[in-house]
Amino acid sequence: MSAFAEKIVRFRWLSIVGFVALAVFFGAQIPRSEIESDMKAMLPEDIESRIKTDKIDELFGGTEMLMVIVKTEDVLSPEALTRTENISKQMKRIKGVDKVLSLFELKNIKGEEGAMIVEPAVRHIPKTEKQKEELRKEIRENDIVYGSVVSEDFTLTAVIALLKADVSDIFIVDEIRRLIEENPGKEEIVIGGLPFTRVQVTKSIRLDLRRLLPLGLFVMLVFLFICFKQLRGVVLPFVVVIMSILFAMGLIPLFGWKIHVISVLVPVMLIAIANDYGIHLIAKYQELNSEGNSFSEKELAMDIFSHLTKPVVLTGLTTVAGMLCLLGHIIIPSRQIGILASCGILFALTASLLFIPAVVSLLPKAKPIIHSRNSRKPVLERMLRLFGRIVTSKPKEIIAFATISALGVSIGILFVVVDTDPNKYYPKDHPIPYAARLINEKLGGAQNISVVFQGDIKDPRIMKKIDNMEHELQEMPEVGNTTSIARVVRQMSRALNDREEEGYDRIPDTRNAVAQYFELYSMSGDPDDFEKMVDFPYEHALLTARLNTASTKKMDHVIDRLKQRTKNDQDVLLVGGFGSILSELAHKVVNGQFLSLGLAIFAVGILLMILFRSVTAGLISAIPLALSIVTLFGLMGIFLIELNVATAMLSSIMIGVGVDYTIHFLWRFRVERQDGLDPEEAAKKTLTTTGRGIVFNALSVIIGFVVLFTSNFMPVRFFGFLVIVSISSCLIGALILIPALCIVLKPKFLEPKQINV
Amino acid sequence: MKIHIIFGLILGILVLFLTAESQEDLTAKQIVDRSFKTTKLAGSEMLSTMTIIDDEGRERVREIASVTKLYDNGETEKRLIRFLSPADVKGTGLLTFDYEKKDDDMWLFMPALRKTRRIVSTERAKNFMGSEFTYADMTPPILDDFTYELLGEEEIEGTPCWKIAMIPVDDDVADENGFSKRITFIAKQDFVIRRAVYYDLDGDLHKELTVEEVKEVDPENHKYRPMHMLMVNKQNGRKSVLNVDEIQFNPDVKDEFFTTRYLERY
Repeated sequence: MSAFAEKIVRFRWLSIVGFVALAVFFGAQIPRSEIESDMKAMLPEDIESRIKTDKIDELFGGTEMLMVIVKTEDVLSPEALTRTENISKQMKRIKGVDKVLSLFELKNIKGEEGAMIVEPAVRHIPKTEKQKEELRKEIRENDIVYGSVVSEDFTLTAVIALLKADVSDIFIVDEIRRLIEENPGKEEIVIGGLPFTRVQVTKSIRLDLRRLLPLGLFVMLVFLFICFKQLRGVVLPFVVVIMSILFAMGLIPLFGWKIHVISVLVPVMLIAIANDYGIHLIAKYQELNSEGNSFSEKELAMDIFSHLTKPVVLTGLTTVAGMLCLLGHIIIPSRQIGILASCGILFALTASLLFIPAVVSLLPKAKPIIHSRNSRKPVLERMLRLFGRIVTSKPKEIIAFATISALGVSIGILFVVVDTDPNKYYPKDHPIPYAARLINEKLGGAQNISVVFQGDIKDPRIMKKIDNMEHELQEMPEVGNTTSIARVVRQMSRALNDREEEGYDRIPDTRNAVAQYFELYSMSGDPDDFEKMVDFPYEHALLTARLNTASTKKMDHVIDRLKQRTKNDQDVLLVGGFGSILSELAHKVVNGQFLSLGLAIFAVGILLMILFRSVTAGLISAIPLALSIVTLFGLMGIFLIELNVATAMLSSIMIGVGVDYTIHFLWRFRVERQDGLDPEEAAKKTLTTTGRGIVFNALSVIIGFVVLFTSNFMPVRFFGFLVIVSISSCLIGALILIPALCIVLKPKFLEPKQINV
Repeated sequence: MKIHIIFGLILGILVLFLTAESQEDLTAKQIVDRSFKTTKLAGSEMLSTMTIIDDEGRERVREIASVTKLYDNGETEKRLIRFLSPADVKGTGLLTFDYEKKDDDMWLFMPALRKTRRIVSTERAKNFMGSEFTYADMTPPILDDFTYELLGEEEIEGTPCWKIAMIPVDDDVADENGFSKRITFIAKQDFVIRRAVYYDLDGDLHKELTVEEVKEVDPENHKYRPMHMLMVNKQNGRKSVLNVDEIQFNPDVKDEFFTTRYLERY
């Protein structure tokens, strides 16, 4: 090892230039990266729900829409209607808008004195109170618009733009904003729809990166300065962190990836974790460079390298192992984060071991730090000493207490909810969830699930099947508005037959009659009125249910029911839609959670077994991890924090980082036992020496993740909160539970005799 | 016999002379007006095929038989259409009274239901029978709703034409007709439109109409009909072809054809 340490000093320039060049090269790639704001892109392309939804787009054209919602006391007031009409009319002229759905564009099909009348739902703006109430009555009877583009209480009306497939989000959102500016009024205007959400998300990601990074770095600088009170102690770990962030983020465009909502976690994680190794080296440097020492710069550099290589590499490897277990997720950004964070940590690890000693050997020796007795340290020391006393006097009670409290908190696990609703990215009062709430509660629902039927659609057998399924869907409380070709046929049947006639409000019994209904409609309606419901040759039909919830559980209920109903049905091609993508995402989150968790525990356990050459070591270190996991999920349930794409990554990260404290404790404990201390004394000594390092290490991680509270995204904020909770519980586990376990169990791998063998 | 020929010749020359004379003074608006009148037949019997083609080339074919007759000094055209194929709509009939000065009356008879319904639709921009043709394409517009500009002269497939721009006077008219501008190529020889280019409400190219095989159906009154009309939607790639397979000028079409009673007699 010392030969290698010498080489590090001899080739120091090569090492310094090499690392800086690498960081500059990768950093230069960062501006090339693109932002991905589409939820769909979180799932691989060959995932069932994505394939099916793409098939729907292929058969029936894109289903993207933007909504302008006009909110006022009564939308039938002349001012509100005039404004709505102007917005509707001008929206049609925006390039990229395929079709507009509004009170002025959607039809009213009605039968009147032997005539079938097809006209816009609102033909004239009512001038008198009487006309207004007549219009209200007419709209109530028109189920094409009632409850979908006008709310049942007439406080909302929507103007919906169905978009062409190739239109860019930013362009269309800007156009819609301009449209609203050009039509001012006293009514409240709310914009909704996925393209709007995506534009907002992209913007928020940019803001997040711009805010979290500098803030995180600043917090870290302050922390480093408090720890080391020396310029090199601040600058060197800081430079390593910066370089590892540049390296990891530069990999994104090089791998051909895009930045996702949760990718902002990568630099934050690196700020929190990548400085750990540098901190250890600087601490050791300051320890060796005590008053009156006679080491040369080169000797100091070589010494810190040789002393710390093993523990730093080991803790680094467990962290990387935990991160890599994110590959157990099928969700693309989670896997990417796993790889990026691992690469960043590996970079930080090598840079800490090679770059920091290289620089240290070049710098003139620093003045030794005289430990001034500031008020904080005795507190920590007193606390650690207290831990030592409690642990040694009541180890069994501690184990019992930890077990009972973990079991108590674990009740919360029962309440953990999985949710992938993109509206929950934002706080409740943000425009995006606000619009979603309006749409869900009053305008038929924002998410959709679709069933594609195949065969001869004009065949009354299939038409009736669509009709029955639509009715069944409407009975479900989660379902808002539904659309299908069967519904249009029924509408026509109401216009064509009088109430007392047999054919009123039903699908006709012969194929010819169905065909003739369509022929009739084609005389008075637009040919593309049905475009989203049936394809050109009448071989595929689309039944779409809009859901008034994006809660995964409720959506699953509808999807499961539909899948069960359509299983083995030759007439049904598939069940798909954006709702089904969200639902599958949720399932993958849960599965990925368990898989990556299992993998992480397994990998970390194996590493510890190798490190201590003992199976028991792996098992003992798994105990605090298991309790942390139970606490984590329990608290999630208690605080109603949902398991989503961000929070699902917690556990494997936590295991990789949290096990470090256990490793540090066990390592030192074994050394003290070898030196002849009994378990109680060894525990006390370890707690007051290495314990301090462990606390600082955990604090640096916690402080690093605190900045996540300022993120624009709720899942990222929750992630920050939960990291802090779980790192704290790992810390407490390592400082209290592990010592207690060591004292009570007296595991053989820590006993002096075993080690001497 | 000879006298007839000579008389015919003199008449023909006279007509030619007169039309040639008058053409020089025609305004764009007058040309458009004439172009609509030139296809108005006192009465006709016709077999035709409407083919609707989507952007992937899939076709829907409708064979229809129709009779028309002018009433009220040409101000009202009554028309009966009967579907011959496909089988599922065979016998479906559409009776239209096309008034010059008010909304049209329409009735549809559906044999499978043995039912006739009046259809009320006020929008001329509406597509006809699910095709790319609109009602506005099939029936003459209100002349004063547009301004006209003679842009020049151009040959279309060897036929000299006037090139005329037709622009709606206001947004309401534009909305109603579904275009912000239409460039029409009207043949000098027979006043029949040879080509028309439609611009949508954004001013973008929308549809293009091509007319082929213009036939003089009523030689006595110099009335013409195109045998082949193709409308291509440049925005969505859909096409519609209206092909006249057989046409017979017949001013004496029986009046009883144009009744709902006859519509239902199938």
